[in-house]
Amino acid sequence: MLSFIVKRLISGLTVLFFISIITFFVLRWMPGDPATLSLGTEGTPEKIAELQEVMGLNLPWYQQYYHWLQDLFSGDWGSSYVFGEDVMTLIIQRLPVTLLLAAVSMVIVIPFAFIIGIMSALFKERWVDYIARSLMQLGDAIPQFWLALIFLVFFASKLGWFPVAGYVGFDNGILASIHSVLLPAIVLAIGQVGPLIRIIRSSMLSSLEQDYMLMTQVNGLPKTLAIVKYALRGASIAPLTIIGMQLANMLAGAILVENIFALPGIGRLLLMTVEQRDLILLQGMLIFVTSAVVLVNILTDICYRLANPMIRFGGNHE
Amino acid sequence: MKRFKFIFSVLLVSIILVACGSSTDEEGSANENSNLDSTEQKEESNTVNIEKTELNMALSVDPDGLDPHRTTAASTFQITSNIFDTLVTVTPDGEIDENLAESWGISDDGLSITFELREGVVFHNGREMTADDVKYSFERLKDEESPRSGDYANIAEINVIDHKTIEFVTDSLNVELLSNFAYPWAAIVPEEAAEDLRNHPIGTGPFKFEEWVPQQQLVLTKHTEHYDPASLETVNFKMMPDVTSQVSALQAGELDIIAVNGDLVGQFEGNPDYTILENRSNSIQLMAINTEHEALADQRVRQAINLAVDKQALIDTVWWGYGEEIGSHYPTMLKEYIDTNSVLSYNTDQAKALLEEAGYRDGLELDMYLPASYPAYVDAGQIIANELDAIGIKVNIEIVEWATWLSDVYTDRQYDLTVVGHTGRLDPYDLLARYHSENGENYFNYSHQRVDEILTLVQEEQDDAKRLDLYQELQQILAEDVPALYIQSPITLTVTASDVAGYTSYPIDIYQMKDVYFTNK
Repeated sequence: MLSFIVKRLISGLTVLFFISIITFFVLRWMPGDPATLSLGTEGTPEKIAELQEVMGLNLPWYQQYYHWLQDLFSGDWGSSYVFGEDVMTLIIQRLPVTLLLAAVSMVIVIPFAFIIGIMSALFKERWVDYIARSLMQLGDAIPQFWLALIFLVFFASKLGWFPVAGYVGFDNGILASIHSVLLPAIVLAIGQVGPLIRIIRSSMLSSLEQDYMLMTQVNGLPKTLAIVKYALRGASIAPLTIIGMQLANMLAGAILVENIFALPGIGRLLLMTVEQRDLILLQGMLIFVTSAVVLVNILTDICYRLANPMIRFGGNHE
Repeated sequence: MKRFKFIFSVLLVSIILVACGSSTDEEGSANENSNLDSTEQKEESNTVNIEKTELNMALSVDPDGLDPHRTTAASTFQITSNIFDTLVTVTPDGEIDENLAESWGISDDGLSITFELREGVVFHNGREMTADDVKYSFERLKDEESPRSGDYANIAEINVIDHKTIEFVTDSLNVELLSNFAYPWAAIVPEEAAEDLRNHPIGTGPFKFEEWVPQQQLVLTKHTEHYDPASLETVNFKMMPDVTSQVSALQAGELDIIAVNGDLVGQFEGNPDYTILENRSNSIQLMAINTEHEALADQRVRQAINLAVDKQALIDTVWWGYGEEIGSHYPTMLKEYIDTNSVLSYNTDQAKALLEEAGYRDGLELDMYLPASYPAYVDAGQIIANELDAIGIKVNIEIVEWATWLSDVYTDRQYDLTVVGHTGRLDPYDLLARYHSENGENYFNYSHQRVDEILTLVQEEQDDAKRLDLYQELQQILAEDVPALYIQSPITLTVTASDVAGYTSYPIDIYQMKDVYFTNK
């Protein structure tokens, strides 16, 4: 068991290592660097070269990478070129915003998708199903940036139900905080809800066709009870597994809504780091995010194995 | 197996929820309105509203740090001009006025300048500012880490005469020397805080730095000991990248001042709740021409390009008419400006004839690079390409990221045509120096003997009238020789809530929040 955990950890670290090398190399290879950007149209080749030296950008990329890696191991994530702030401070500052946005969005998506999905499966090929499927298509087809702007102008500016922009921290109360991300969370939710409804509908349909459903009928179980107790349970597994994956999609959506609603989250920071070639900050953020994903994966694998010894990884025999 | 996946998915979701929940322990009362000043008194008077002293202004981007000696970004100086003072300052009309220096004298040979400093000026950390701080600040500005060091290389000696008198000695005559002390990067900083100016700036300015949460907000509070104290107690700069959000936030009362483009200003016109400010700006927009390109080295081809473009129509389409047509590299608001629009005015027949004369009867193919981060330049480039197509020049457009533009187009000069803007300076020499054949910022690859001569002569000419003649001759040459297609000097548009007063624009790109106040209107 211990050797298995060690192996998983090593492979996780290898993934992180390669990801960090690839991003470092790709970003160095892209045209434009922080020194050039900082000088803008005031830059001359001499001035750029001087500034690159000050910023340590004149070294070959593998040396810069080595310095960065060295600092990382001593707990120093470096500091942003653009903001001058510690990378870790910036990430910790931003994380709650994006997590709250994703969580509120999920809280909207999940019940909504389950209700619509189940209804549409139960009333297959009836008007409820048609409406649900049309809405689903519409949700998929509407561009999120457009929806975000329409919502902003209508609900925030015209009706004044929500603040137009900005994030209210937890220190002003959890409700105020949720309120400040509610509108963008709804926009994000509308983009996510379509695929989920589709999966719930299809797994509910297949679950209703299972033999055990026939069995409940034979046993004279009331239909509602049979659906809630047996069909629903069987239908829940697939959607819940993909909800995890949809969290990753949400990060992509967050880049967009965070920009429009001026929310200081991870997505907006990520976009800035690429645009401004804030290499150290981008590198730090990627390591942070990928570490989180890798860690959760390792934990999941370990738990799977603990619970079910039949699962073997890599086909080795212990 | 499936059951475990189910359990772990639930676990994953709950971990995220717990992570959010844990930082919400200190639950307070739910305050749903983040804007403290949502109620406005509507009285018909124009007096200062002493109750309302917190102003919210939108910014599209964060500053590039707050250390005025370590950046060239306008986004930094717009803010730091409120935190730091300079020895002299510039008025909205472009005149030099006293600031930290109450008076100054220039020696007869024009090589040295002596400033008498104001008494009783204190930094935000409470320490009094002296001539030693001025010396330190200019040494820091001349340091090799400073991107502006080249502009101040001419200063050979800085002599502290007494604690309120300081003398600057230059190597060679620079007749516009004084303006170098008015730019926001010539800020006076205290040595003890120099290490961390980027994130915690300390100056002598009318506002103290309070807080900067990148991509969220930057807060300044009033420095009560300033010699000319501000009316406002607090200024919140809110970072909002999207213009529609800015407009919506102004309409919802969350903001007091925003900068807009011509397309969005219409919805505020005729609305008594808002004031629209139109200001000429010290900047120009142009289509640069790489004069090293085989065809573009020919003056006739460049002139043909100029003749083929209907500039007024371009300004009307791209900038909604908010801009003044120019014929040379000079903003209309500066006093040396001469009107060169008639030198080559829109005439496609003449353009075709010139192109034919130059030997391009069968047409010509050019590459145009446009910076994606500036949608107006992209639009303008596409319209110009269309107009050039009409005279037989085929233009291949490539839209590139700003970072790519800076390195490939601007620094490496790998382009034929590109559309971009240039911010002006107070000193005409700084504005035009890039046309010198040896200048590092001459991305036109332009070389003209008389231009080089003029740029050398103006630096030593002490007679104002003669210098003016030289600058105007230079504008005339550029208009005729077309190293770039000069498009317009833009008009900047600012929309404020109607109770905001005192907001003015300056010939250098700064926001002066000290003079802003709310009226009782």
